[in-house]
Amino acid sequence: MTAPSPEAPAAGSPAARPDSAARRFWRAARFPAVLAAALVTVSVLMSLGGEQFPTGHLEPRSVSPDGTRALVNVLREDRDVEVARSSADAAAAVGAADDAVLVVFLDHRLLPAELDRLAALDVDTVLVRPSVRSLSAFAPGVEMTGRELPRDYLERPLDPNCDLPAARTAGPAYVHGELYTAGPGTGAVGCYPAGAGDALVQVSGGDTTTTVLGNGDPWTNRLLDRGGDAALALNLLDAETVVWLRPDPPREEGTATLAELLPAGVLWSLLPLAAGLALLVVWQGRRMGALVHESLPVVVRASETTEGRAGLYRSRKARDRVADALRSGFLDRHSARLGMGPDAPREAVVAAVAERTGGDPGAVEALLYPKGADPYAADDDGLLRLAAELDERSRRLR
Amino acid sequence: MVVTGRAVLLAGIAVVAVAFSGSLGPWAAAVAVAVLVLLVALDVLLAASPGGMRLTRAGDTSLRLGDTATVEVSVANPTRRRLRGAVRDAWPPSAHAEPRVRPLSVDAGERRRVATELTPTRRGDARAAGVTVRTLGPLGLAGRQRTLTAPWSVRVLPPFHSRRHLPGKLSRLRQLDGRHTAMVRGQGSEFDSLRDYVPGDDVRSIDWRASARNDGVVVRTWRPERDRRILIVLDTGRTSAGRVGDTPRLDHAMDAALLLAALAGKAGDRVDFLAYDRRVRAQVKASGRGSQVHRIVEAMAPLEAELLESDPAGMASAVLTAQGRTRSLVVLLTDLNAAALEDGLLPRVPALTSRHLLLVAAVRDTAVAEMAAGRGDAGAVYRAGAAERTLGERRRVTAELRRAGVEVVDAEPEHIAPALADAYINLKAQGRL
Repeated sequence: MTAPSPEAPAAGSPAARPDSAARRFWRAARFPAVLAAALVTVSVLMSLGGEQFPTGHLEPRSVSPDGTRALVNVLREDRDVEVARSSADAAAAVGAADDAVLVVFLDHRLLPAELDRLAALDVDTVLVRPSVRSLSAFAPGVEMTGRELPRDYLERPLDPNCDLPAARTAGPAYVHGELYTAGPGTGAVGCYPAGAGDALVQVSGGDTTTTVLGNGDPWTNRLLDRGGDAALALNLLDAETVVWLRPDPPREEGTATLAELLPAGVLWSLLPLAAGLALLVVWQGRRMGALVHESLPVVVRASETTEGRAGLYRSRKARDRVADALRSGFLDRHSARLGMGPDAPREAVVAAVAERTGGDPGAVEALLYPKGADPYAADDDGLLRLAAELDERSRRLR
Repeated sequence: MVVTGRAVLLAGIAVVAVAFSGSLGPWAAAVAVAVLVLLVALDVLLAASPGGMRLTRAGDTSLRLGDTATVEVSVANPTRRRLRGAVRDAWPPSAHAEPRVRPLSVDAGERRRVATELTPTRRGDARAAGVTVRTLGPLGLAGRQRTLTAPWSVRVLPPFHSRRHLPGKLSRLRQLDGRHTAMVRGQGSEFDSLRDYVPGDDVRSIDWRASARNDGVVVRTWRPERDRRILIVLDTGRTSAGRVGDTPRLDHAMDAALLLAALAGKAGDRVDFLAYDRRVRAQVKASGRGSQVHRIVEAMAPLEAELLESDPAGMASAVLTAQGRTRSLVVLLTDLNAAALEDGLLPRVPALTSRHLLLVAAVRDTAVAEMAAGRGDAGAVYRAGAAERTLGERRRVTAELRRAGVEVVDAEPEHIAPALADAYINLKAQGRL
């Protein structure tokens, strides 16, 4: 409780404000600033040394089970691998190389015109699970005639069963998938027969060959080390330069952003809206004068120490002290009424109390002046009994 | 700078207008923002300058706690523009100033009075914090604001609830004075005057020697001793900060001190006042005759209990210097706190009682008495034991003080003022002053 000291400046004067606006701003902003700085630092540290690998089926740089990074790295040991993302890149790479093989994945992403342009290139081509349109462009006469991918195909590799050196030397491989049948007169060689067709078909036209493989899975990181999968790949892609075409999905056309769809006026109305919000902040945030501060009085009950002592007695189980206090309170209150002075002998007090309240003087003595171990201070129930008996005798003395 | 809801509304209209402007969007947006900024700036510029207002104050300077005071600010507008806006007369929160903000309109060259009602809930000085004047431009979109200083302070005096006991105690005093009953000489009365005998006077009060010199029978009249000195000492140390009920001990003590001062003033005694903890917090020296109550009330108003241990040695020497060699009744309003009194005050009691009559008055804590009577479960009995111990220490200190020749008044908060007054009247009746 502080009385307003005379040297304290009047509230509202500049000196009464404890610090300047800049200090206040710094105090309010420093925690968010430190937090933001810490977040930025942590994210920068975490991104250091972390390399991002692209993901996707048959993606040459993907390390996930369905990627083909393993095969590409094996190929790169003794030949060049050019990864192309579009038919134009692929055509350019093929044109730049002396001895190349073009391997085409996911060709459903290519337009018919692009397929025709690629098919016209004078280069060995491997088509992995081609679309119907692609098949007719690269290998006319070969048709997809079935599909075989039993659940337990990993226990039953297909045998080459053909004269194609690439397949024969590779041996059994897990090339289950789409099956093809070459029409008569195409001069095609079919390997890995299964049910309704062959999993691998090679068509020779002029000095180039077109190989159709029903499934790209054997070349993924997951299956490359099984059976003859790797050998088949190395045999088929036998050239100085492997042009690996995995086209990106074609860009959509005719789309528009939200901004283009909204009328221009709505977009521009954000400008007055921002101004209006700023005005709103000023309108609601501006106070009519500073807050007035005032030192508050200390609120403490006068009985605080007594209550604290009661808590101490209870936590320490100081029953003897409580009993003493109750007894001396009783004696103090009634000694005058009993005609006893403060120094009256115990026997006289006991006799007077016994006479006035009835009962055995021995019991009264045990109640007021216990000898030896206090029977009332043994436990909390004893204390309650002591209080009740003292109250009863007080009532009778009145 | 301030803006009003009107400016925000205008901005909202601008947003809608621009949104429907179609291909003219960029132009419409630029025009809208420009118009908005222009209008707001124009309004700010055209608003009357709040700093140019001249403020003067008038109104109450003191009130009793619980009453309501009115303080006026008169706002004079010496500028050439009309003031339109609002004004806030700021006071500390405990002053409960009403209304907080009020609209204000003052024409150029005129003045207007703004009244604020204060209903303080704390004793002491309430100081005006400043007057905030907000002026708006002619469009009511925006304006300016400034907080001006207009110093004023209202002293909130102790409530003096014990005033209601004053008539009763005064009639007891008059009985003592002899105006109600026969004038009988007794202890504590002094010779007042001689006057003619009227039937009904006590024949024992006839002054035969004076009667012999006169035609008629002359009686002596007596009156209680007058012009005694009383020093009321208020302990403002830490023990006075404790609250009994909802009020600090200090305020209960003030109430009792005021009743005693009023009573003693009427009885013709000189009342001095001293507030002390480790240094003198307030002092009133009686000057001339008449009641000192208003001066004591003024001195008490800003007092608050300090959170430090009182210094009884310093207090004793302050008392001795204040009273000099004249014998007086020293009324010490403190707490019968065993630790504080046994160490501090008791050793100094002989020095005080050798020259003065010492009376210690203390407020008893009703909560402790309730705790001592608490029964039912073990917790209540532990609390009762602790309370009995506190009460026992209090009784012991009281006994020790009485043994040392000190009068002790120990009463509940609602009885302390009349009990102290009764103790004073009894001392006076016994002629012990």
